[in-house]
Amino acid sequence: MRRVTRFAAAASASALLALTATACGQSFAEANRASHAGVGLAFDIGGRDDHSFNEAAARGTENARKKLGVNVKMLTAKNGETEADREQRLASFAEAGYNPVIGVGFAYSRSIENVAKDFPETSFGVVDAVPQGKNVDAMVFAEHEGSYLAGVAAALKSKNHKVGFIGGVNNALIQKFQAGFEQGVRDTDPKTKVTSQYLYPNNDKGFNDPAAAKAKAGGMLDSGIDVIYSAAGQSGAGAIEAISKRKGAWAIGVDSDQYQQPGLAKYKDCILTSVVKNVDVAVFDLIKSVEDGKPLTGVHAYDMKKKGVTLATSGGFIKDIQPQIDAARQKIVEGKVKVKETP
Amino acid sequence: MANHDIDLTVRRGTVHALCGENGAGKSTLMKILYGMQKPDEGTITLDGEQAALGTPADAIARGIGMVHQHFMLADNLSVLENVVLGAEKLHGIGAKARAKIMEISDAYGLAIRPDVLVEDLGVADRQRVEILKVLYRGARTLILDEPTAVLVPQEVDALFDNLRELKSEGLTVIFISHKLGEVLSVADDITVIRRGTTVASVEPSKTTPKQLAELMVGSELPSPETRESTVTDTPMLGVEDLRLSATDSDGVVRTVLDGITFTIHKGEVLGVAGVEGNGQAELVEAIMGTRSLDGGTVTLDGQDLSAASTRKRREGGIGYVPEDRHRHALLLEAPLWENRILGHVTERPNSKGRLLDLAAARKDTERIVAEYDVRTPGIEVTAASLSGGNQQKLIVGREMSHHPKLLIAAHPTRGVDVGAQAQIWEQIRAARREGLAVLLISADLDELIGLSDTLRVMYRGRLVADADPATITPEELGSAMTGAASGHLTAEDADTREGGDRE
Amino acid sequence: MKTLTRSFTKDKVLLALAAPLLAIAAAFVISSLVFLASGENPLRAYWIMADYGHYSDSQVWIINKAVPYYLSALAVAIGFRMNLFNIGVDGQYRLAAFAAAAVGGAIALPGALQIILLIVIAMLVGALWSGIAGVLKTSRGVSEVITTIMLNAIAASVIGYFLQDGRLAIKDGNLLHTRFLPESSHFFSFPTHPKPVYGFVVIAALAGFVYWFVLNRTRFGFDLRAVGASEPAAEASGVSVKRMVVISMLLSGAAAGLVGMPTLLGESFNYGTDFPAGIGFTGIAIALLGRNHPVGMAFGALLWAFLDRTGSRLEFEGYAQEIVGVIQGVIVLCVVIAYEIVRRYGLRAQQRKVGEELAAQARTNENDKAEATA
Repeated sequence: MRRVTRFAAAASASALLALTATACGQSFAEANRASHAGVGLAFDIGGRDDHSFNEAAARGTENARKKLGVNVKMLTAKNGETEADREQRLASFAEAGYNPVIGVGFAYSRSIENVAKDFPETSFGVVDAVPQGKNVDAMVFAEHEGSYLAGVAAALKSKNHKVGFIGGVNNALIQKFQAGFEQGVRDTDPKTKVTSQYLYPNNDKGFNDPAAAKAKAGGMLDSGIDVIYSAAGQSGAGAIEAISKRKGAWAIGVDSDQYQQPGLAKYKDCILTSVVKNVDVAVFDLIKSVEDGKPLTGVHAYDMKKKGVTLATSGGFIKDIQPQIDAARQKIVEGKVKVKETP
Repeated sequence: MANHDIDLTVRRGTVHALCGENGAGKSTLMKILYGMQKPDEGTITLDGEQAALGTPADAIARGIGMVHQHFMLADNLSVLENVVLGAEKLHGIGAKARAKIMEISDAYGLAIRPDVLVEDLGVADRQRVEILKVLYRGARTLILDEPTAVLVPQEVDALFDNLRELKSEGLTVIFISHKLGEVLSVADDITVIRRGTTVASVEPSKTTPKQLAELMVGSELPSPETRESTVTDTPMLGVEDLRLSATDSDGVVRTVLDGITFTIHKGEVLGVAGVEGNGQAELVEAIMGTRSLDGGTVTLDGQDLSAASTRKRREGGIGYVPEDRHRHALLLEAPLWENRILGHVTERPNSKGRLLDLAAARKDTERIVAEYDVRTPGIEVTAASLSGGNQQKLIVGREMSHHPKLLIAAHPTRGVDVGAQAQIWEQIRAARREGLAVLLISADLDELIGLSDTLRVMYRGRLVADADPATITPEELGSAMTGAASGHLTAEDADTREGGDRE
Repeated sequence: MKTLTRSFTKDKVLLALAAPLLAIAAAFVISSLVFLASGENPLRAYWIMADYGHYSDSQVWIINKAVPYYLSALAVAIGFRMNLFNIGVDGQYRLAAFAAAAVGGAIALPGALQIILLIVIAMLVGALWSGIAGVLKTSRGVSEVITTIMLNAIAASVIGYFLQDGRLAIKDGNLLHTRFLPESSHFFSFPTHPKPVYGFVVIAALAGFVYWFVLNRTRFGFDLRAVGASEPAAEASGVSVKRMVVISMLLSGAAAGLVGMPTLLGESFNYGTDFPAGIGFTGIAIALLGRNHPVGMAFGALLWAFLDRTGSRLEFEGYAQEIVGVIQGVIVLCVVIAYEIVRRYGLRAQQRKVGEELAAQARTNENDKAEATA
């Protein structure tokens, strides 16, 4: 009996402690009202130096810092995060007076929606997702259209008529890359075979595991594939590294112009081109609008027509096929070719 | 347990026996002598010179060596390799070492074969290897911790011959034991320890086993003798044609039990003698149901239990005092009252329905502690903190509290002090009087002969011989245990065989 | 006799307190060294953590985060009490939550009925998944450590397969998730300020109580603990160890099935690509922290959530993100080591004490006898 009472006492004491504290306490936001502090940028897995997606966003804020003189603070997601962690990160920015607060990546979709409600005075932006909210700017990109052009280039450049696609995680976003790429290859050269593979079925680690991408690319190269397009965030660097060691094989980069990335300089001679998502432009647009006092809200689609997605020409490796690529772009812009979003 | 006021003088070139109950402080004293533990006060003098023995290395350097009760040998190495292991600096690992080993072996009559793998050696041979290891390291004083516990009588005699050989070469032996007959036969001087202090130094020639035992316990000597028969005609446990095979570590299927058949009646104690490893442990496991049989039946009080689970068998009235109580009978880190529940969780007073009845279990533990004289400050202490004898008293008390029909007692007094031993024997006798059937397995032949109504000898998985405890001697039983005799052993038979051996 | 017993219980309480205090002190020292080594001021860091943690929104956040942690720790602890290492809690809870979400999105039963159904489904699926490991261990002798790790990977792939547009999921922007649960299956919550606390905290507390009660007050629990304490002794006492392995794996999996429920029924209302992963591994750390004790694990879960919350704040204040992970690891190590030290010390102290008490008793008895004869 003795133990029952002891147990009950301990349990109820701790419960009481917790509930009293929460019921009467002050919240952090109430205690710490802050004024304009700058731009808050919350990264997806991989962090600022992923050589691709996050880095593109960071570039946008860099521009804003230079041109508009705003202050920028960046925080990064951890592996295995929950909704609560993301919400806390966004709320921390808003509480400290950061405006706008930008979440990079669709993982922030739901958390932006929730946090934006609590901070109606702050503008929120999110890349790759379309959450609801009066103070939310949803920046989406036509990845499938950009990937279509990558497909065109791959089909034209492949000597073995075998090309590959590596996705970081098999989710709806990455499937857009896959769909566009496959369609671009098919429309250009129906004889060319596309192999599409993913690193992880549903684990965000796929954007943060260069070793897995390296192994995957190695396997593709061994089977005779000589152009590989990887849409896998930071993992993509692993694939590029593997490709650089194979003579005559080409890598197609993603999100940023990876030929220009200092971190990838060693391998740049194998980077045929990159499907550039002009996240930096979108991010800059939002920051500017907030600075101007007319914050952007609603969905802003950055498609091929608006030059939201482009194919990088650095290195000059695609100079010889530029006419075909330009023709394909024209067809998309004019609506003659409709690029599918799912494979 | 602390020692105090220990006075011990050992003369060079003698066998000095140190005897006392388990827990009397022999082990502590031994550890101090071997440098494993430091004394709080007092001095050790070696050859007239004060010695500070901080570590076993100090002790070895001073020529003190110890042979532990549990051998410390690597099975998969040869005798030579085991001996030089850790002492490679002395004589290398090659021919010089071999020559040295043979020299020691011949000098003391140890009959060592240096190239045999230790795993192929019997217990007595292993013990000699341990002794040789110590001598090889230059020991002039040997401490032997309960060296006879694992040996059959014939092997004990051989060991004693070795000890006498060592003595005649001027070495000193400190011999720790609580077996009085042995102590008296081999020792030149005897020191008795009780409750952490030396109580007497005696000469064997002027002492009887009874006196010695009384010194050890501080009271009268218990004896395992049971004479007036209580055996009835009602069979309680019937074991028929039990067969069991097991796969050993090399993947070879061996027959462990073969054609075991016997019956124990109400009020009967059946003793099974045998060198360890001949199937006794498996026989017990087969009856307890922790091993599934290849064939044969087990009946208890007319009920066929061959297919029943261990728990059903226990509920059906089997009480079990296992050989290795730390492994099989106790939860060492659990309090005594939880240990009281172990094995009888489905029975009152431990549980009501599917729930435990902790209050009743605690109360009943208090009762067992009082009735069975378990020396403990309380029932909340862990089983590990009790001495071996008190643990065993608790186990016996627990098993007897559920009024078993059959009591299986495997080595019930092993590692138990004389006081507890007497109490456990008395419990077994009481159980027999109350009409229980008892299956007694023991390596202590005096205990077997003293307590049993019927004796069987087990050898290589078979019951090869039977004997009448009223007439048999430990020596006769011992020869059957090594496979030298079979059938019904009588005093005459054994005598002739022994006569034959001598020639 | 009575006083002796009491002094032993007093010692036990002191020892029980010594371990966590020792662990906390050691963790503080080591963490401070880590801060200093990275060139930061540890005192400022502790101040930031304490200050941020005391706000009400932090506390609500911490409690909500601790609920799944606690359930996960319970699931792991059931295995630990049996000497089984269920690393598969992660796969078990995700598969369980996914199954519950898929069923819950497809049907709409009235009120509580739907909630009960979903919880039962989750527990069954979790149990089924861990049961595979249990059966493999008893029938084929495969270590549960290996099988549960493999089952984690298989669970992830199974979910990945079904969580596709046109299978069991619907596409929502760039997210894929199962259909939303109907309103009837939203679990209640406590209206605290500024955000509500999961009502599931009640279920977690209940689960903790059941865990404690079953282990300490039932025959079954005794058998389970006996197997954990000594397998041969349990076998000899009549417990079927194999059966016990399967049952405890099933129970562990069933408890794991609850881990995803606070999130599913209290927050997300669907299982999507953003459903939290990795709580099963955190549960292992918390079970170690709480020494498998229901109250200990509750504190462990709250501490972990506190570190999650305040650790992110540290990052905001300019500290390295990884430092909180280091501190969490240091705490677990300190706790494990401290408990082992204290346990060994306690055992030795008790043995010594028993010896002394008995010697003293024996001496007085002897004196009494001597006087009587005189």
